[in-house]
Amino acid sequence: MPPLGHLHMEHVLQAVGVLEAVILRSFGPEGGQVLFTRDTGQAMLSRSGTRILTALHLEHPLARMVVECVWKHSSATGDGSKTFILLLASLLRLIHAAASKESNVSHSYSSTKAAEASTARHLADKLLAFGLKELDELIATGVVPYGGCISWEDFTVEAQTPSLTNNLCVQKLLRSFFHTRCGYTHCDFSSHLTCELLSHWKFKNQLPSFSLQLVSDYFPALHTPVSGFPVRSSRLIEGQVIHRDFATPPLKTDHQPVKAVVLTGSMQPTLLSTGDVILHFSSWMESSLQGIIAKLQTLGVCVLLSAVKQSAAVLALATQAEMCLVECVSEDELSLFSQLTTGSLALSVISKTGINAVLYVHVAFQDSEERITIKPYSLTEETAYRSIAIQPIQKCVLKPGCVLSAGGLFELLLHYALLQHGHSSSVSPDLNIDASVSQLLANALLSVPQKIYSHSPHHFLDLHCCREGDKLSKVSELDLGLESVSCKYQLLLAVLQCVASLLKVDAVLPTHTALHTQSRRLTRTSWEGTEDEGED
Amino acid sequence: MALNGDEEDFKWEPPTEAEMKVIQARRERQDKISKLMGDYLLKGYKMLGEACEVCGTILLQDKQQKNYCVSCQELDSDIDKDNPALNAQAALSQVRERQLAAQSPTPSQTPELNDSPSSSQGNMSIPQPRPEHCEGAAAGGRTPLPPPAVPPPSTPASTAALAPARPSVTPQSSAQRLVLQEAEEAVLTKLRWATNQLQSSASLEASIQLCSLINSCANSLRSLKELTQ
Repeated sequence: MPPLGHLHMEHVLQAVGVLEAVILRSFGPEGGQVLFTRDTGQAMLSRSGTRILTALHLEHPLARMVVECVWKHSSATGDGSKTFILLLASLLRLIHAAASKESNVSHSYSSTKAAEASTARHLADKLLAFGLKELDELIATGVVPYGGCISWEDFTVEAQTPSLTNNLCVQKLLRSFFHTRCGYTHCDFSSHLTCELLSHWKFKNQLPSFSLQLVSDYFPALHTPVSGFPVRSSRLIEGQVIHRDFATPPLKTDHQPVKAVVLTGSMQPTLLSTGDVILHFSSWMESSLQGIIAKLQTLGVCVLLSAVKQSAAVLALATQAEMCLVECVSEDELSLFSQLTTGSLALSVISKTGINAVLYVHVAFQDSEERITIKPYSLTEETAYRSIAIQPIQKCVLKPGCVLSAGGLFELLLHYALLQHGHSSSVSPDLNIDASVSQLLANALLSVPQKIYSHSPHHFLDLHCCREGDKLSKVSELDLGLESVSCKYQLLLAVLQCVASLLKVDAVLPTHTALHTQSRRLTRTSWEGTEDEGED
Repeated sequence: MALNGDEEDFKWEPPTEAEMKVIQARRERQDKISKLMGDYLLKGYKMLGEACEVCGTILLQDKQQKNYCVSCQELDSDIDKDNPALNAQAALSQVRERQLAAQSPTPSQTPELNDSPSSSQGNMSIPQPRPEHCEGAAAGGRTPLPPPAVPPPSTPASTAALAPARPSVTPQSSAQRLVLQEAEEAVLTKLRWATNQLQSSASLEASIQLCSLINSCANSLRSLKELTQ
């Protein structure tokens, strides 16, 4: 688009169409992976839509806006970025077709581009209003009856009997998620391990959502990546592994409870700036340090966890006092440590543990039920936890924990529900507007199962048939896994919002200075000179 | 509002079949462009915020900071092939098609023109007028000129020397007509001279050669006459 030019729907369609073409080959259960290489030789293999889209070099403002929306959605729900782009593209195409029809222009260039753009904007706003007000009821009546409900107690790790209730366990939900991330070979093992981890993270007096949120927030501290081993040698270790080695020789404990102190700053006070006071100061400083260590000894403290590097004097004194010191512990780990110890847990053992020739500190807790995972280096996402965390937290009509068979069934069911809604509302003339809106949305939704089953149309037919007959048992025979209904609803809303905001853009003005600070994910793009920013 | 104003002017009608084909072709082209651009993005190209001035497609930039338009530099070569305004070959084929369509009830003239010299070349059954007859005729009095309707076998070299170029598809212009007229006059002059020479010729060899010259002139005249038609 020329500088100071007006944005036409064709520009929007082209930008989104290109992004769709990028992710289309990785979409679906048979989608491929993308190998990214950097000039430094670093390689990354991924099928995740967010990773692929954020790794592209994009300077086009609309494309960057879309990727930003995808990233925000993905960080909230953990999944669905490719579906987002597919839905966005098909919705925009249908809106464009409807707008050009409604504004009475033929498909040749005319001066009523502005009329077309305003019709499109109007349609998008109507769609968003429909999505916010009526869509959840439609889903509750038209889609949820075909699915099931899982609760926190369904964390049955082993599905012994092939009955219906066991099929609805969380493991199945995780399995379909891992299937899209790690591929078919490791999804069972990964989901099993995750279920085990989550089942151990149960706090007695807290809601399940609290523990899920905890695991989700502290996952980087809970997860130890180890390279060079197969995925199947991952295991859970009880306690917390701090990813640092001891700075002083570790103490020999006899499984007695020990006390620990967390230091966020240096124990040694900083030097004063005046000159000849230093000599006196250092002697004062040493004696003050000795005093501190002596005080800690009297309190019975044996372990010092420090966020920063301590000075040599501190190290020497700590060794002398037989205290073990761990330096440069990350903030996440320290906060997790404090979280765990604020409860009724006491520190019991602290020891060195070696994982693949790297020494870590292992902290075990008495009466603990917490475990951490050690995972050999794999490219899995920790957003799995975020996706589970969001499910129990619901504020709308949809019940928490509703699940449905994965593989496009949600889109298909909603498509039919919307068509029915359109038919019923067209009978009453005052609701005539809704008919076209629901029709549009219904047609857009059909693009998702179409793309999933583009390679195997007979599976698509199976999906259609499942709607009529004995619903859940037949679908579970197809073994497609489970997906959360509320997550899909969130995805739809996010897409509708993105469409509305995309079509609100009138013109693009190039600027020479950055108007907003870079978002933290845009670490790869280089900003040289002119930069385009979209403005409403 | 502009929308309401337009409604009075024209109603929306569903697109005709031809328009549908155009729409379909345009959509396919857009899909192809998107796919190509997606592939380039995955290869490491950068998507710029500018569009190409010619076609309006989003520009890509490779690692050597060179801008690249997918539709102009890759796809347009496929389409330009068929566009008569841009390609001479396509223009020629278009004209040929038109001619075929116009002349379809009657067989076209081009194959006729092409066939006649070859048939004359292939036809060796008619014997050359024997020099003795010519001699006798020359001694006896006026000899009628060998009729141009009889297609005698002609030597390709002489025909090639005197005959004009193979009839082409391009329409005749006044310059061409002028050239043809001049050629006709030259050939007639030569014919007249050959006839005179033949009448007064005494040697055998000269007579034979003069007869063949007359033959070639007659063929050339025939071809020229057919060209001017």
